Amino acid sequence: MRLLPAWLRASPRLWSGVALLGLVPLITRDAYVLQVLSLAMIWAIFASSWNLAVGYAGLKTFGHQAFFGIGAYVSALSAMHGGLSPWVTMWFGAVAAAVVGALVCLPLLRIRSLPHLAIVTLAFAEIVRILCSNLVDLTRGELGLAGIPPFTPLSVPGLGLVSFGPADRASTFVLIWSCLAASLAFLGWLVRSRTGLIIQAIRDSQVAAESLGVSLTRYKLFTLTISAFLAGAVGAVYAHFVLVLTPTSALGIALMVQMTAITLVGGIGTLQGPLIGSLVLTVSAEGLRMAGDHRMLAFGVLIVLVVLFAPRGLARLDLLFGRPSQAAGAAR
Amino acid sequence: MMTPMFLWEQVLNGLIAGSMYALMATGLSLIWGTMRVLNFAHGEFFMLGAFFALTAFELLELPLAPAIAVALLGVFLAAVLVHRVTVAPLMRQRGWDFSTIAATLGVSIVLQDIALMTWGERFQSLPYFVEGIVHVAGVRLPAQRVLILLAVIIVVAGLVTLLRFTRFGMAIRAVASDPEAASACGINTPAIHAATFGIAAMLAALAGIILAPIIAINPWMGVPPILKAFVVVVLGGLGSLPGAVIGGYLLGIIEALGVAAFSSEWREAVALTVLIIVIWLRPQGLFGQRIREA
Repeated sequence: MRLLPAWLRASPRLWSGVALLGLVPLITRDAYVLQVLSLAMIWAIFASSWNLAVGYAGLKTFGHQAFFGIGAYVSALSAMHGGLSPWVTMWFGAVAAAVVGALVCLPLLRIRSLPHLAIVTLAFAEIVRILCSNLVDLTRGELGLAGIPPFTPLSVPGLGLVSFGPADRASTFVLIWSCLAASLAFLGWLVRSRTGLIIQAIRDSQVAAESLGVSLTRYKLFTLTISAFLAGAVGAVYAHFVLVLTPTSALGIALMVQMTAITLVGGIGTLQGPLIGSLVLTVSAEGLRMAGDHRMLAFGVLIVLVVLFAPRGLARLDLLFGRPSQAAGAAR
Repeated sequence: MMTPMFLWEQVLNGLIAGSMYALMATGLSLIWGTMRVLNFAHGEFFMLGAFFALTAFELLELPLAPAIAVALLGVFLAAVLVHRVTVAPLMRQRGWDFSTIAATLGVSIVLQDIALMTWGERFQSLPYFVEGIVHVAGVRLPAQRVLILLAVIIVVAGLVTLLRFTRFGMAIRAVASDPEAASACGINTPAIHAATFGIAAMLAALAGIILAPIIAINPWMGVPPILKAFVVVVLGGLGSLPGAVIGGYLLGIIEALGVAAFSSEWREAVALTVLIIVIWLRPQGLFGQRIREA
């Protein structure tokens, strides 16, 4: 065990869960199951990026759907018009989101008031959505951007050429699972690192952190940039997975509501929370779809119920997941 | 064509749109000022007001004035219920500044879906309250739009009178400035919070009702107004009533001129850009106090 890095030893349940999830394609090749779980993992990565800003750094933003959408559109458009492989363009999307994230952060650095932060980030995301739906020549607006190329086939030693088209659900599942594992490993390492501890100290008390010589500006800027980068990267993966984008589906407020529900239900400020929330919500939403499309209603009700009765979320129900996580101050 | 006459017409239109923003923002600011809660469900009270009035008018076949009264009362009760079930219990918990935002966001989604199930997604409309055309300083305006302008001025004046000169209004202001001291003086703080929430929701509902003849009534009609109201409260200073009113009219005019300069699909973007600029240059807004630590 000593050989394993600390972040891996810290949450054995999470990593066994992630490993089990990776075995799913060995058990079933059912396209529908793999499709639903792939989407759930995309939402889990997206919610994790938001969780880093909100749950760990206490930056209560409501505009992460903009980073997701920027990543998705930048990657899709540069792959379509630039003729580049999505393996390359997804990093364009991530970097574009990170740059925009840093720019948005600048005016927010001076503000410590929570409602102002919430309003400005939401307004910024709406500006991006309006831009996207009005620039019809570029994005085709609400008609939807179709014809996005999937990830190009990859030559894997031992397996030959592996393609990731709409028919190859199993390989796409493994691709997205790898993104999930990489993101969670990175976040798990980050939140336990010195930087991560400083970020959590800022969440717990900006004044205390500042008085100990922490540069609030630097660490807030760092957190939001990293968080936006991750959201943009997963947005790009989403674009090359679903192959159609509309401003509503990739940038809309509904996306933010879904992400909020996922994070709160799973447990805000925990590493495993977004993944648990996403699996529970996405799978049960598929079940609900049989009973009419009231997914949003379910998300709304869940958000209200969770903040009222279980503000720590599923991840910290001790019965299910053992000892409570150390990030106890996250709800603040 | 940016002739002076055209500009003047745009300014008048801006004032009319702005009066609706002022009404929405006043309610939002009242709730923030009294209980430090940012109400994400405020737009849905705007929507409920319009639907309640429509139902009272068409289904119950009430005359217009009683229909409006019934709708306002209905929204008041709905808002008190929302406050009682979500905001009030959360305010007794830790971390309520964020949890109330999340909860009201959830409530807004729930109310949209309830409206969708109850009234469907068909766009509907109320008849004009008044017919005819009025000439205002050389510009021809439908009487309904002038009515909106007048109604908002009267309501805001009434609200100011209520807050300034009645015992109830003094109790609201006492709770706003120090809830604990107000409780110690025998004011029932939870009841004042509930009533304030209800009154603020009625202001939003009134905006929805008087706009109902002009815009389409649908379950999602509350989303653009609350975004505008957010812009206005930041512009005017969160918690400041004069800020909400003046900010509302100001935003209405800026938007109208922006639409004249670009085109109408950029209306929302103009408003939201104003917000970003205000946050850059003067985060506390025009009339705001220094911004509190979150």
